[in-house]
Amino acid sequence: MISWDILGAWLSAAMVVWIYSFAYRDNLFYKLAEHMFVGAAAGYSIALALDSLNRVMIKPAITTPETFWTTSWHYVVPAILGVLMFAKYSRKYYWLARYAVAVNIAVGTGLALRTVPIANITRQITATIVPLWGSDPVTVLNNWLLVLITIGALTYFLFTIFPRRAEGARPSPLYYVYRTLYYIGIYGMMVGFGALFANTIMTRVGFLISIYLIYLQPQYWATIVAAILAAIAILLPLIRKK
Amino acid sequence: MSRSISLGKILESRELLYTLLLISVILPIIHPLGIPIAVSARTKAVYDYIENNLKPGCHVYFEIYYEVAARGELEPNVVALTKHLFDKGCKIVYGSLASFGVIVFELMKTTAADVFQGREYGKDYVFLGYVAGGESAAASLAKSIKGTVSVDNYGNRIENLPLMQEVDKATDFDLVIIASSGTDTFAYYVRQWYTPYNVPLLFAALSIIAPSIEPYVGAKQAVGMLVGQRAGAEYETLVGRLGLGMASMDAQSTSHMLVLVFIVIGNVVYWSQRLSSKRGGGK
Repeated sequence: MISWDILGAWLSAAMVVWIYSFAYRDNLFYKLAEHMFVGAAAGYSIALALDSLNRVMIKPAITTPETFWTTSWHYVVPAILGVLMFAKYSRKYYWLARYAVAVNIAVGTGLALRTVPIANITRQITATIVPLWGSDPVTVLNNWLLVLITIGALTYFLFTIFPRRAEGARPSPLYYVYRTLYYIGIYGMMVGFGALFANTIMTRVGFLISIYLIYLQPQYWATIVAAILAAIAILLPLIRKK
Repeated sequence: MSRSISLGKILESRELLYTLLLISVILPIIHPLGIPIAVSARTKAVYDYIENNLKPGCHVYFEIYYEVAARGELEPNVVALTKHLFDKGCKIVYGSLASFGVIVFELMKTTAADVFQGREYGKDYVFLGYVAGGESAAASLAKSIKGTVSVDNYGNRIENLPLMQEVDKATDFDLVIIASSGTDTFAYYVRQWYTPYNVPLLFAALSIIAPSIEPYVGAKQAVGMLVGQRAGAEYETLVGRLGLGMASMDAQSTSHMLVLVFIVIGNVVYWSQRLSSKRGGGK
């Protein structure tokens, strides 16, 4: 008899193959896998969110009401605000949803702003103040690059003040300094984007490898069957067209 | 039509690249090549930090924030770090600001059953489960875990767990590890755990995320960072438990070689097309 575990493993292997089959061409099995994924993911997220609410608030409120109302009574406030979110479906009471959104945004903004100036501005600026001379040439080179590319990138985005070259006149030394930093900024950013692109490939390939190792290799028969089905689904419409 | 243009046409078909990529991934897994990997200075620095700064009985908070698709990139890091921490005698409180964290934690525990063997739940480790609220939840947890969640993932009351009687707020922890597939999570912890409470942070990130959070590491707001599957494989070597990370390395090497070859071919074709159209007086 087929167990649920085997059926699940076969299904997961087939889903992976069908989702990846889109890389070749859109097909029936890709659409099936896509819809199943979206539906299952949405359902699972809602179930997990409700489970969290039940675990943290509803169940303790029912089973241990004394403890709940003395230690965790404040959970009721976000619960009410959460319920108010649904008011937007009512023509009459939709305005109530604004309070929930307002509190959510206000709390988020307040918490973030409390530390953003230090975490994201002051610390980042101080991190670029580094020694430009020293005994270790690699560190010195790195520090120079850090300082020059930071200033260069800032120069590139400095839209308000930049020395113009007057028609026919000889450019000022400031103009050359500006142009040099401008190009350092451009090339620095290009190197940064290159690293980002390389890391993107690394991550996507990493996903593919791990998915193969976790889902496809253990169920290779399911993989082969799913691949054949996807190939048929891709080729059949092409043959019909001809 | 010149030869370079016809070659370009063939290479332009994405199906060819995907097929070759698939072959370059599958072949080395079926027939391992055993390409040796060196441990990078960055991974060694993380290992040394834990080795030198954490003493038996220390407390670590571990944020699990990645979806099932990212398991291959981050799970090797999480498992190897967990093993290292347990071997050092540390106690771990796991939590997740994402609903899918619950799924990947359970999957990780199943995969690394040997790492958790002999470790008592509630005493050596605790899993808080999904804590809703994003950055607000991170701030609240830093202030008081007991004030934020009343029960763990399995419905046990927090105050009844022995480990949770030892820790409650950010400053009770010797290290906070964030394994995440999203950039925001790292920012949450920098803003809500490191900046107000000065708790050491350690990042385990997807390769794609690493450049975005590098400024935090550069500004010493985090003690170190493990980047992707490669760092996972390196850490597995360091802690002596080879797993998914190491198994993926041959395939990573061959697939990257393929991409490099295609980048070179793409550039050669592009420049030869440009030169030939210039000679022919075209655009």
